Amino acid sequence: MGQIQHRRPVHWGLHLALLPMAVTAIVGYLATVLWSVGVSFTSSRMFANTNFVGLEQYHKLFASERWQLSVYNLVLFAVLGISICMVLGFLLAVFIDQKIRSESVFRSIFLYPYAMSFVVTGLVWQWMLNPEMGIQSAVRRLGFADFQLDWIVSQDKVMYCIILAAVWQASGLVMAILLAGLRGVDEEIWKAARLDGIPPWRVYVSIVLPMISGAVGTAFILQAIAAIKVYDAVNSMTRGGPGLASEVPAKFILDHLFQRGSIGLASAASVVMLLTVVALLVPYYYLRKHQAAQQGAKA
Amino acid sequence: MTMATTPSKRRPAKAWTPARIGTYAFLLSAAAFFLMPLYVMLVTSFKTMDEVRESSIFALPLLPTVEPWVVAWSSACTGLECKGLQVGFWNSVQIVLPSVFFSILLGAINGYALAFWRSRFANLLFGVLMIGVFVPYQVIMYPLVRLLSSVGLFGSLPAIVVIHSIFGMPVMTLLFRNYYTGIPQELFKAARIDGGGFWRIFWELMLPMSTPILIVATIMQVTGIWNDYLLGLIFGGTQFSPMTVQLNNIVNSTFGERAYNVNMAATILTSAVPLFIYLVSGRWFVRGIASGAVKG
Amino acid sequence: MHALTKRGLAALVAGMGISGAALAQKAEVVHWWTSGGESAAVQELAAAYKAAGGTWVDTAISGGDNARNTTINRIAGGNAPTVAQFNTSLQYHEVVLEGMLNNMDAVAKEGNWDKILPEPIKKFVKVDGHYFAMPVNIHNPSWFWYSKAVLAKAGVKAEPQNMTEFFAALDKIKASGAIPLALGGQAWQEGILFNAILHTSGGADLYKQFYSSTDGKVAQSPAFKKVLSDFKRLKGYVDPGSPNRDWNVATAMLISNKAGFQVMGDWAKGEFAVAKQTAGKDFGCFPGWGAKAPYMLEGDVFVFPKSKDPEVIKAQQLFARVATSPAVQVAFNAKKGSIPIRTDVDMGALDICSQQGVAALKDPARHLPAPTQLASPEKKGLLDDAVTKFWNTDQSVDDVAKVLAAALKG
Repeated sequence: MGQIQHRRPVHWGLHLALLPMAVTAIVGYLATVLWSVGVSFTSSRMFANTNFVGLEQYHKLFASERWQLSVYNLVLFAVLGISICMVLGFLLAVFIDQKIRSESVFRSIFLYPYAMSFVVTGLVWQWMLNPEMGIQSAVRRLGFADFQLDWIVSQDKVMYCIILAAVWQASGLVMAILLAGLRGVDEEIWKAARLDGIPPWRVYVSIVLPMISGAVGTAFILQAIAAIKVYDAVNSMTRGGPGLASEVPAKFILDHLFQRGSIGLASAASVVMLLTVVALLVPYYYLRKHQAAQQGAKA
Repeated sequence: MTMATTPSKRRPAKAWTPARIGTYAFLLSAAAFFLMPLYVMLVTSFKTMDEVRESSIFALPLLPTVEPWVVAWSSACTGLECKGLQVGFWNSVQIVLPSVFFSILLGAINGYALAFWRSRFANLLFGVLMIGVFVPYQVIMYPLVRLLSSVGLFGSLPAIVVIHSIFGMPVMTLLFRNYYTGIPQELFKAARIDGGGFWRIFWELMLPMSTPILIVATIMQVTGIWNDYLLGLIFGGTQFSPMTVQLNNIVNSTFGERAYNVNMAATILTSAVPLFIYLVSGRWFVRGIASGAVKG
Repeated sequence: MHALTKRGLAALVAGMGISGAALAQKAEVVHWWTSGGESAAVQELAAAYKAAGGTWVDTAISGGDNARNTTINRIAGGNAPTVAQFNTSLQYHEVVLEGMLNNMDAVAKEGNWDKILPEPIKKFVKVDGHYFAMPVNIHNPSWFWYSKAVLAKAGVKAEPQNMTEFFAALDKIKASGAIPLALGGQAWQEGILFNAILHTSGGADLYKQFYSSTDGKVAQSPAFKKVLSDFKRLKGYVDPGSPNRDWNVATAMLISNKAGFQVMGDWAKGEFAVAKQTAGKDFGCFPGWGAKAPYMLEGDVFVFPKSKDPEVIKAQQLFARVATSPAVQVAFNAKKGSIPIRTDVDMGALDICSQQGVAALKDPARHLPAPTQLASPEKKGLLDDAVTKFWNTDQSVDDVAKVLAAALKG
C-alpha cells in the first residue's frame, strides 16, 4: 500500500484544500459550541454575560417539566419516526423496483414532499388532522358518524400526528437512497435465489438488506440528523401544544433563546443534547470502523 | 458492488399475478397518502374565501378562481408593501446560486481529500463536522453573528454564502466522501504515478467523474437553501430578503385575517423551484445516489 | 384614501418647524405588521414620514418573536436598522442596559412627552430618566367581545357585571345551542383569558401582586385559588375543537353567530370590520366587569438602535416626531384598532369600543400594566407554561398554585 510521498506539493495542495473545512469546523462549529458551553455556566439572559453561576442552569433545566417532556417526546419521535420511515422507505423502494409502469411518476409522488418547506405543509397537516375541519369531519359527513380522528387535540396522541407528517415528508428520501442501493444489486443474486427456491421476501431480508447496508446507514444518519433537530413540523402543526404536549428540545431551546431571553438556559439545553448525541455517535462510529475492518479482512 | 445502475426496464411488462396486483395496490395507496396534502393545497388555492370557510377541505371548488394565485404573486401584503411574492423571487435566486455552488464545491473538495489523502487532521475535522451537524443552527447563530460582524461581513451576500456553506458542509462532505470511497483507489494511484498533484487530480479526474453525486448534492442544496428562512432573514439584511420571508409574512401574519386560499397559492409558488427540480431530475437523483453515495 | 390629505400633512410638517423637504432622511424600519389591516395602518405612518421629508425603507417580518430576534441579532451584528418595533414591556430593557439604543430625549422634550403620555406607558419607555422607546399606540389585550345575535337568542339581556353573572350568561348560551366561549387553544390565548379573569374578577391589586411577586405567596392565597378554579371552570364552555385554533378563527365563530363570547385584544376589531360588522349593532365589547373595570395598557413602541451617524440620528428623531404627532396618531390608530398614546387628540374618528378605551385612559385609577411589563420574559414564560398546562390537563388547583409559586420565586 505504498504511497508515493511528495513532501512539498502534498502539503501545499492538501492544506489549502483543508483550510475551509478547518475554518468551518474549528471556528464555525467548535468555537461556537464552546461558546455555548461557556454561556451555559453563566446567568446570561438576552445577551451573554460572564457572571459565572456554576451548574445552576443545568439544575433549572433538569427540574423543568417542560424540558423533561420535550426529551421524552423527542425519543418517541426519533424511535418511532425513524423506524417507520426506514420501513416505509424500504417497502416503497422494493415495490418500485419491481419493474412497474410509470415508475418515474410514482417516484416523483413519493419524493416531492421533501422539496416543500414544512412551514406551510405543517399547516395543511394541521387542517387535515383537525377534528372539525379535516379528515374526521369529512368522514363523518360521509355517514360514519362515530369516526374519530382527534389525535391532534389530545394530550397523549398529538405526537403521533407529528410523526405522521414527518414520515410523509422524509420517507421519499429514504426510498430514493434505498432504491439506488437496490439498483446496484446484481441480477445474478436473484437468479441464484430463484434457483435455490428461496422466497423473495427472504432474499430481501437476509441477502439484499445486508448488501445495501451502506445505503441503509446513510439514510439512517440523515434521518437522525433531521429528527434530533425537529422544529418546523412541531411549530407549524401544533406550536408545541395542546398545552405542552408536543414540546421538543429544539423548540425548547429556541423559545428560551429568543422569546424568553434566557440564553444561559438554552445553551445548557443545547450542551445536554450535544453530549447525548456524542454519547450515541461515538460507539456507533467505532462499531462501523470495526465492521469495516472485518469486511476488509474478509475481502 | 458495481457502479453502473441496472436500467429500469429490461423486460416487457409482466403478467398480472396477485403479487403484481398487490404491488400496485400498495403503491397506489401510498401515492394517495403522499398526494393528500398537495391535493388539499391545490384545491384550496382555487377557492374563494367564502368557500374555504364553508366547505370541507377536501371538496373541489364550486366556483374555481385564479384570484388567490394572482394575489399571492403580485398583491399580497407583506408589510408596508402589498406587492406579493415576486419581490423575493430574484433575491432567492441570487442567494441560492452562489450558496449552492460554494457549499457543493467545498463538500467535494473535502470529500475528495478525506477519501484519497490519508490525513488524520482531515478525519478529525470531519469528526467535528459530523457532531456539529446535530446542533440546531439557531444555537450557534448568535456567536456566528458576532463573528461575521467582527470581520465586517454581516448583512451582505457574501455573508449568506459563507453561512450556507458552513451549515451545508457536514452533509455535503459526507455525501462526497462516501461517493469517492466508492471509486477504486487504483485510479487514484495511477494518477499520482503519472505525476498528478492534489488539485490536478481533483479538477481533471475526480470532478468529471462526479456527475451523479453532483446532481444529488445540487438537488439537496437547492431545496434546502431555497426553503431557508431564518438565515436569509438575519444574515441577508434588507437587500437580500429571500422569497421565504415574503411567504412567511403572508402566511403567518398573526394579527389579521388568514386568507388560506392565498396562503396555499403562495406556498406552491414558493416551492415551485425545488418542486420543478425534483420533477425534472428525480431520475438522476436516484441514479446519482446509486452510483456510490451509499457506501456509508 | 388616507385620513390625512397631503396638504394637511404639509401644514403639519410646517407646524413642526422642519425646514426644507430636500433632506431625505432614510429610515429602515423593522416591524411585524404584515396583515392587510396592519398594512393599512403602517401605510399611514409611512406616508406621514415621507411627507415630512423622510424615506421609509420597509423591513416587515411576520411574527413578533421573529422580528425582535432579527432586530437583536442585527444590532449585535453591527447592521442595525434605523428604527425597530417592540412591545411596551420589559422586552428591550436589557438592550437598553447594554447601551445599544439611542435616546429620544430631545424629541420628548419638544413634544412634551412627560405630560401627554399616560403613566403606565411612560414607565416603560423612560428608563433611568431617559426616553429609550417611542410609544406609537396603546393596545389592550384583554377585552370581552360578544355576538349580539347569540346573546339575544339565549336571553342574555345585559353585559355580565361579575363572575357569577358571566357563568349564568354562559349557561344560557349553552342551553340555546351555541358555543358559549370561543377560544383558540394556543398558550398565549389561554394566557389572555387567564389574565382577564384575574384582573377583572380577582381585582387589579391581586393581578399586580401576582405578576410582581418574588416570594410566590400570593399564588397560594384563597383569592388567587378562586381565580384559578373559575378559570378552569370556563373550560366547560369551550368547544373540543379549540386546541391550536387561530385567534381570528375564534373571532369568526362570533361573527357567524356560532359562539357567544371571546376574550381577545382590541385587534379583534379588525376581523369584525372585514366582515362588515359594527360595534354596538352586531357585536359588543367591554374591557371588564363594570364601568370602572381595570384597563390594561400595552401596545407597540419603536426603539432606535445606537448610532453616531448624524444622518441616522436625524432620521430617528424625525420618525419619533412624526409618529407621535396628533394627526398621525389619530390616523394610524383608527386603522390599527388601538387607541392613541395622547389624550389631547380628536377621538371622534374612533368607534365605540375605542372610545371606551379612551375614557379608561383618562381615568388613572383604571390603568393596569400588562404582564410583560411586570415580569421578565423568562418569568412570564414560566408562568405561561404553568397556565397552559393547567388549562389542558387534569391538574388540580393546589398543584398549579404550587408550580406558580415556585415560578414566581424564580
